[in-house]
Amino acid sequence: MVQAGSKKSQITRINSKTGINSLIIFVVLLLAWIAGFSSRLFAVIRFESIIHEFDPWFNYRATAYMVKHGFYNFLNWFDERAWYPLGRIVGGTVYPGLMITSGSIHYVLHLLNINVHIRDICVFLAPIFSGLTAISTYFLTKELWSAGAGLFAACFIAIVPGYISRSVAGSYDNEGIAIFALQFTYFLWIKSVKTGSVFWAVAAALSYFYMVSAWGGYVFIINLIPLHVFVLLLMGRFSNRLFTSYTTFYILGLICSMQIPFVGFQPIRTSEHMAASGVFALLFAVATLKYLQSILSKSEFKSLVIFGGLVSAGIVFLTVVGLTYAGYVAPWSGRFYSLWDTGYAKIHIPIIASVSEHQPTTWFSFFFDLHILVATFPAGLWYCIKNVNDERVFVILYALSAVYFAGVMVRLMLTLTPVVCILSGVAFSGLLELFLREDDTPRNEDSEDEDQSPPNSRRLYDKAVAGRVPKMKHEQNKESDGIGPNIRSIVTVVIMLLLMLFAVHCTWVTSNAYSSPSIVLASYSSDGSRQILDDFREAYFWLSQNTADDARVMSWWDYGYQIAGMANRTTLVDNNTWNNSHIALVGKAMSSNETAAYEIMTALDVDYVLVIFGGVIGYSGDDINKFLWMVRIAEGEHPKDIRESDYFTEHGEFRVDAEGAPTLLNSLMYKLSYYRFGELKLDYRTPAGFDRTRNAVIGNKDFQLTYLEEAYTTEHWLVRIYRVKKPDEFNRPRIPVANRVVKSQNFVSKKSSKRKKGTIKNKPVIVKGKRLSTKQV
Amino acid sequence: MKLFLFLICTLFSLVRSQGNTLVLLDNQVIRETHSIFFKSLQERGYNLSFKIADDSSLVLSKYGEYLYENLIIFAPAVEEFGGTLNVDTITQFVDDGGNVLVAGNSGTGDVLRELASECGFEVDEEGAFVIDHLNYDVNDEGQHTKLVITPDNLIDAPVIVGSRKDVKPLLYQGTGILADPENPLVLPLLSAESTAYSYIPEQAIKEYPHAVGRDTVLIAGLQARNNARVVFSGSLSFFSDEFFTAPVEKAQGGVKSDVSGNRDVAFAISQWVFKEHGQLRVRSVKHSRVGEEKPPSAYTIMEDVIYKIEIDIFEDGEWKPFSADDIQLEFVRIDPFVRTNLQKKGKQYEARFKIPDVYGVYQFKVDYDRVGYTRIYNTTQVSVRPLQHTQYERFINCAYPYYAGAFSMMGGLFLFSFVFLHLKEDEVKKSKGD
Repeated sequence: MVQAGSKKSQITRINSKTGINSLIIFVVLLLAWIAGFSSRLFAVIRFESIIHEFDPWFNYRATAYMVKHGFYNFLNWFDERAWYPLGRIVGGTVYPGLMITSGSIHYVLHLLNINVHIRDICVFLAPIFSGLTAISTYFLTKELWSAGAGLFAACFIAIVPGYISRSVAGSYDNEGIAIFALQFTYFLWIKSVKTGSVFWAVAAALSYFYMVSAWGGYVFIINLIPLHVFVLLLMGRFSNRLFTSYTTFYILGLICSMQIPFVGFQPIRTSEHMAASGVFALLFAVATLKYLQSILSKSEFKSLVIFGGLVSAGIVFLTVVGLTYAGYVAPWSGRFYSLWDTGYAKIHIPIIASVSEHQPTTWFSFFFDLHILVATFPAGLWYCIKNVNDERVFVILYALSAVYFAGVMVRLMLTLTPVVCILSGVAFSGLLELFLREDDTPRNEDSEDEDQSPPNSRRLYDKAVAGRVPKMKHEQNKESDGIGPNIRSIVTVVIMLLLMLFAVHCTWVTSNAYSSPSIVLASYSSDGSRQILDDFREAYFWLSQNTADDARVMSWWDYGYQIAGMANRTTLVDNNTWNNSHIALVGKAMSSNETAAYEIMTALDVDYVLVIFGGVIGYSGDDINKFLWMVRIAEGEHPKDIRESDYFTEHGEFRVDAEGAPTLLNSLMYKLSYYRFGELKLDYRTPAGFDRTRNAVIGNKDFQLTYLEEAYTTEHWLVRIYRVKKPDEFNRPRIPVANRVVKSQNFVSKKSSKRKKGTIKNKPVIVKGKRLSTKQV
Repeated sequence: MKLFLFLICTLFSLVRSQGNTLVLLDNQVIRETHSIFFKSLQERGYNLSFKIADDSSLVLSKYGEYLYENLIIFAPAVEEFGGTLNVDTITQFVDDGGNVLVAGNSGTGDVLRELASECGFEVDEEGAFVIDHLNYDVNDEGQHTKLVITPDNLIDAPVIVGSRKDVKPLLYQGTGILADPENPLVLPLLSAESTAYSYIPEQAIKEYPHAVGRDTVLIAGLQARNNARVVFSGSLSFFSDEFFTAPVEKAQGGVKSDVSGNRDVAFAISQWVFKEHGQLRVRSVKHSRVGEEKPPSAYTIMEDVIYKIEIDIFEDGEWKPFSADDIQLEFVRIDPFVRTNLQKKGKQYEARFKIPDVYGVYQFKVDYDRVGYTRIYNTTQVSVRPLQHTQYERFINCAYPYYAGAFSMMGGLFLFSFVFLHLKEDEVKKSKGD
């Protein structure tokens, strides 16, 4: 709300003096930074300065390793504690930008003798970068529209929940810095397209390099910028500025991006990057044609274009197809297909579909994450389409593609959020400009293009565009200023109210939905007091204190990073899901019965098994609820042993009660989750063994574990750890009573606490006064 | 005083060297009828405590420590042990590493059957004898239960029963044992001839006997996974003075001997079961890169590695280097990537090989499991890391055209910039002229 007020004042006075202008801009951006930073601190204030969730734990572990051992050792780090026994080359499989960023902050602070623990830097990195994102969004919007719109956009992005969801304090993940890199790259790209200078193109390439080092979402940039160029070509807006900036950007960006070990040769070998090189070639072709056009006569040129265009298009197409078949260019990856066909992943790659953030977005979450912006953003888009020019083509394409991708995957909401903020900023700025104009001295209609941007470059640019295409702003100029003062004030008040509601909504969402560290849970009892459930850390601490240093812990992959980060133990699979067959093996062990699972576990040298069980407290994210994904992933690799249909009842239901499928009731995961749960009576209203998460009394209550033994169960039963018995604990080949050929009679013991003497058949007994005789039994 | 202490120590160490042994008997008579066997044990240094099996003061352990290392049960008729002894305590004793020698007969009591079943074999039902109408001794009393067993029926493991060739024919009278042939831990030390079967001699055969032919095990052995050893004989008289000294003559003719081989085989079995024979241990394991002494924190792929292991065998009361030529080393990451023979070099075994071109966490694994010997299962975990960024080749031959291309490009650009700077004024003039 602070920034809303200052925005208002900013809009009104923006055109008075440059000194005041820059002061206002500075103050607003500073306030946006502070507001963005402080609204991300809910998690730290409510809980503590702690790393959140899953992936951040790996990033933190890797950063700590880098700070301790140096960059080159980090680059060569072979992590033998992950993916046992395969190991993981960490340096070659991470985007190191995040670690390097926080590592260098740590280094600089320590040079200045400011002793900050690396964990605190990691925790607060994302909130700090949110301020940088706001600033780069301001610059980007300023280039696209006006400084006023830029300030709006900066304030929006500082507090919008769609971005906060990935950048609260403690959420130490790639996205936190990548959105900044994304916005900044776009700003530099727009700048370079506008000026046509090599300097800005180089800067864009370097910023792109930072983005590549930080996040896999760089693919979005390397497809969007070529798309921008391509559409400009289609629109007949080819210019030497475009040629210079794209060729410089592409070549430098390509070479730089290939320096990241994880990316390596992908930019020239995978289909995802082919669009960029195709546009690169096309740009040269167009430039050549333009040159030829100036030499040749019209008819010659026409036939050359048609013939040459067809031939070269055919050659390029055939080359790409041929290279793909020959294996030089990898075909589209599965993750990419799932962007076009939302059902693809569910059928072919269950491991991608099993992640909740890869699900299609609901309408609800659009409103939840963007609130009023989701309504104003089409208006901004409309403004841009109405007043189109080279750089606005870019933001239009950005908006359209981001909307599509955000609809496909919840996770890509994050790439939509910045453009929504930009365009809403444009919309609000347009509105306010219309309704607050009476305060100003009357000026010419075309104000938003002229007064907020540097006049000289602006005019030059407009001339260049005007020379090539018919100016499309003529309709706007007709707008007259016939709005009465009442309507003006009503509209202004309504806008202010909307903005305030937006700020309230953002704060509410941030505090309630996005500020849970998820390794510490909080629950509220009926009297409103807060209860902290710290079971995860309890379990991981137990592991780190009570197990051998090289103990191998099997769990579902979600918890791999946390086990490695907090317990420092070897894991079999983790959140870096690079090896599907290894995960399928763990899934198979979890979904098989105990005997079959034991074989897998001994083959993988498993010492402990860790399961998450939410039945006692009603925690819905536990392993039983994820269980079907384990089955599906296992079925993908071992279709003979595991069949998903076995885990459903005849009516196709997934039930854990007595009517559940017998395969499910005997699977390892079921047994480990519900071991001795049948003895537990939670309260008086429900019977013993009542699962609060699934609201059912469990079906298989009374069973014993043969190959495992319970090692630890946390206070609320949230984490259960079992020890896998070693083969030598099955010391003797005992023959079970049922399998014995010779059945023996039941012998009734004659011993008692007093009489300790045993019995021997036919023992001679001596009875006083009689002769020796044999006792008959 | 010092000398006295030293004497006491040596005395204790002598006694400890072969271990305390509890002998449970049906009655004191057995002590006399089996005196040769017991005497030989005592001569070898065992400290035997004879107890009647129903003695109410029987204990195996006190305050969590075992009083005995070995247990001999020569009490076939026992139905229930006295004191704290029962099947559970005895199996616990085995699980904690104790050795047990049990002899039954046709009237083996339930508690021994239960004990046998816990160890993976079963004793045929009460009253059953192993009967062989072709291979019985001349002194047999008419039921053809006193059998003559040729040494070919002994297990082919010299470490347990001695060399089969040197053993004289054996005498056996007692019940049959059923062993699960699928179970690799159970060893049929002595099995019956193919014409034998196990049944109650007085009864007419109405149902198929539990054990027929060579499936009838006479003496069964078990080496548990913790290397505790258990031997179960179906015949108590196999160990008796009478059988030790009796002449053997097969009634059908053919085999004849002045004295039976029981004595030799019984002594050999007792030496095996009480771990005088066939006990191995790993003294040390070393591994390093070739030419280095200490193991690195992690190996790199394609490195040459040397692995050394010292294996000892317990012989004549002390550990000596063990020699064999069939010990293998595996280099395992889920599956073995390398499997090679260990060569004996001096006291230790040694193998050299090249680490495969696959990174990961590997184990050096020596799994030596031979009949009669302690199983040696030794794993050493090492990590094998990929090449570091400095370890790749810097200049590759096939890339020279590209190097040349890059450098000529740089040179060309340098020249071009000169040309460009030189010609620029002309260009400007031209454009001005335009």
